Amino acid sequence: MSSVIPRPIMAPASMPSALRFELLGKCSVTKARAATLHLPHGPVPLPIFMPVATQASLKGLTPAQLEDQGCRLCLNNTYHLYGLLQLPHAPLLTNGRGLKPGQATLDAVGGAHKLQAWPHNILTDSGGFQMVSLLKLAKVTEEGVRFLSPHDGSPMLLTPEHSISLQNSIGSDIIMQLDDVIATTSPDHARMKEAMERSVRWLDRCIQAHKYPDRQNLFCIIQGGLHLDMRRECTAQMVARDTPGIAIGGLSGGEEKDAYCSVVKACTELLPEKKPRYVMGVGYPEDLVVSVALGADMFDCVWPTRTARFGNAITSRGVLNIRNAVYSEDFGPIEKGCRCTCCRPTSEGGLGITRAYIYHVTAKETAGAHLLTMHNVHYQLNLMRLAREAILKDRYPHFVRDFFSKLYDGDQQKYPEWAVTALRGVGVDLHSD
Amino acid sequence: MSVPASIQKLDQLPPEMLEFTLLKKTGALAPRLGRLSLPRRKSILTPGFIGNTSRGVIPHVSQDNFRKSVELGGVYIALEDFVEKHPQKTPPIFKYEVPEPLRKFIALPEETLLVLGARRNPPIPSPVANTNTQIGLLTSVGFTTISSDYYAAAARKLQPDVVVGLADIPFGQAAVGLKRKDKMSDRTETWLRDLIVKQGTMDDAEKGWSIFAPILPIDRHLQSWYLEHLLDDMVDKIDGVAIYDAYLLHELPEQLHHLPRLSFHAPASPQELLRQISLGMDLFTVPFINDATDAGVALDFNFPAPVKHHASSTRRSLGIDMWSDDHALSVTPLSHNCTCYACTKHHRAFVQHLLGAKEMLGWVLIQLHNHAIICAFFAGVRASIEVGTFDTDVAAFEAYYEPDLPEKTGQGPRVRGYQFKSEAHAKKGKKNPKAFNKFGGEDLVKLKAAHGQQPNKKPATRDVIDDEALLGLVGMEEHGINADAAVQMDKLNLEDDERR
Repeated sequence: MSSVIPRPIMAPASMPSALRFELLGKCSVTKARAATLHLPHGPVPLPIFMPVATQASLKGLTPAQLEDQGCRLCLNNTYHLYGLLQLPHAPLLTNGRGLKPGQATLDAVGGAHKLQAWPHNILTDSGGFQMVSLLKLAKVTEEGVRFLSPHDGSPMLLTPEHSISLQNSIGSDIIMQLDDVIATTSPDHARMKEAMERSVRWLDRCIQAHKYPDRQNLFCIIQGGLHLDMRRECTAQMVARDTPGIAIGGLSGGEEKDAYCSVVKACTELLPEKKPRYVMGVGYPEDLVVSVALGADMFDCVWPTRTARFGNAITSRGVLNIRNAVYSEDFGPIEKGCRCTCCRPTSEGGLGITRAYIYHVTAKETAGAHLLTMHNVHYQLNLMRLAREAILKDRYPHFVRDFFSKLYDGDQQKYPEWAVTALRGVGVDLHSD
Repeated sequence: MSVPASIQKLDQLPPEMLEFTLLKKTGALAPRLGRLSLPRRKSILTPGFIGNTSRGVIPHVSQDNFRKSVELGGVYIALEDFVEKHPQKTPPIFKYEVPEPLRKFIALPEETLLVLGARRNPPIPSPVANTNTQIGLLTSVGFTTISSDYYAAAARKLQPDVVVGLADIPFGQAAVGLKRKDKMSDRTETWLRDLIVKQGTMDDAEKGWSIFAPILPIDRHLQSWYLEHLLDDMVDKIDGVAIYDAYLLHELPEQLHHLPRLSFHAPASPQELLRQISLGMDLFTVPFINDATDAGVALDFNFPAPVKHHASSTRRSLGIDMWSDDHALSVTPLSHNCTCYACTKHHRAFVQHLLGAKEMLGWVLIQLHNHAIICAFFAGVRASIEVGTFDTDVAAFEAYYEPDLPEKTGQGPRVRGYQFKSEAHAKKGKKNPKAFNKFGGEDLVKLKAAHGQQPNKKPATRDVIDDEALLGLVGMEEHGINADAAVQMDKLNLEDDERR
């Protein structure tokens, strides 16, 4: 079977890298790590949550507001940047010949950083994630992903080379390989294996196509569904290609949490220590805290910002829907002690916004969404900041217990079983005191 | 522990009130310069404008951006944005037990003047007619009424800086009969008295507020009783007037000329602003700023207008339609030489992209820019009055720019219930276009089935819907998908919109 995947020419090839991974501390119990990742647009602390500015804007926030919440690395979506920046009437990609009007726009503007006036780091996906949603509508071949233009229905093809070329134009600090993503829950074992192996082959094409390895970091994406053997094989293949960073993909698609944890653990066990590990599409606070214990460093998810638009506030005691009438007369901050722009009292330079005011404006004025979005982004970034501090002090198990205790109000019966199991696997017993 | 008596007395000084200084005045119906000041607040130079808010916030401008990127000395707040629970429940704002609850609630900076009125500006006509004691309002959950007493009590509780007296104006009524006009003047007088009485019962420790008396949009002789009584025994209790028809300014009694004039006569264009200024108006809310923003129009004019280089017959547009594809590659600021946040940090290509992508930031940036343009416009107006070239500058402005703001071509942000006129016999059209209108209901059913999603079951499940991913799926229905027609797609609430 292994003959389908070409062995890398020189294993491990020394691929140029535009990042420096500075490991600062490791938890003595779990597999959690604290590090600083030095990227072309400045250092970022690991572990990190990366908010998703899908279309080069984080849901109403100005770059300055995002910066104020402490964000130094956010996501852009290649598919959306490219699709929306293109001039109308011009096809996105025509029969694989690669007419790229969106690229012309980006080139004229000078890349995504200039487009959105974001002086910090950007990570772009390959456009492949959209294919998960498009799977029944698009066709994956060895060449690439064939699909119909969302603008005029004309047939289009996204190849690994196109994806990298687009991301080269975008100029993001971290770029992702095009991978063959299928839902982890798919029962088709053969298709899963094909997707995994194809992802490796596509990585080789991405490495070949990558024009600026000296200023953009290409991350590989480990596939293989929920099959640990397949994941391990893929990990070995990917690691051999020596990309600056490594992502674990295809998860967060509705699989069982136990299976999710097993996959993350199986992968991180095989990964080199000196490289950042990115678990794609993960964003609930519990998932972050557990995944960090399993040895993951980077996460992204649209949930915190999307849920803000529905009036949901993330707090250490759980998610509150501020549209509930009980908050209409609650004149406390969204979360006591929170240092976000909204919650911080005016005496400390914040706005001193109350839950009652969020109730008053949410879903009625766009500014209500902006306020909650700031809070939620801050919560996620701060959660990872606190995790990092705990790891550096070698108190991560304590941090994890504290986190779950707060979240479930001290009621251990309510702890999710998957989290208890996963943490036990890395030496933390949530049920002990 | 004994505090010198003189210091104790200092604390007991009556709260300092609004002061209006006329800096330059050339005649009765002429532009004038003034300064509105109140201790602890930024002075406002007039002619000038204050922010027009919706639910305590200038639309699209969150409170932190207001502090950082908007230069405004004051805001106008409508009580109707805060009392939707009335009369079934005490509105939450009245239970906020802190000094200056309204200011604190909406996170308005300490130095910003807070002007409270009953209705948004411009108000949406209420089908609930005013009565002798009640005024009709539109809250976010529908029409209601409040009494004059309630309004006065609300003012006392909320502690704004300025309270605009209730005016009995039958908004939306095409023709108002003579008898009704009589009533307008009677009620307005009664209601103003209620407010003054309430103000008089306040004790010294309470934060005071100033009253602006409404001047009705009817001929002077029709409100002569009201005006007479205003001059006889109320004039020393009021600190300003609220003008509902700028073109009746010539009828304003001489004895009220020293007071600041706040315009509730919504101007449709900068030219109309200039006309009102030329009649001696001092202070404005400028609703067309937000209209332009929602239309995706970046205002683009200066006062005085630039010198015309050659005698061309075409006049310059007052704004730039940011929806236009022409900007797709343009890395220039919205307006040249504008120093606003949007113009110094971003460029047209980005704003055009944001509008096309329906990203909220597009409207944020245009709104910040439009406020900066109007700020600069008023600064230009004041300088022009100062040097005495106002009339010629107005003529040059009118010759240089088109008379109307550009038409809206793209879509605005979603319209909320309290933002449009609901008419009993009007056609039931959708106020907002469907979010994904290229999909028929059936297509969405297919899509949903393909994704195995169940809309509206639980918020958690609903959130799973990847609305961003949906964007790229237009026109792909020929690929077979198992459709479950039983799923009610009409209820797909991607934007969580609220319907009454």
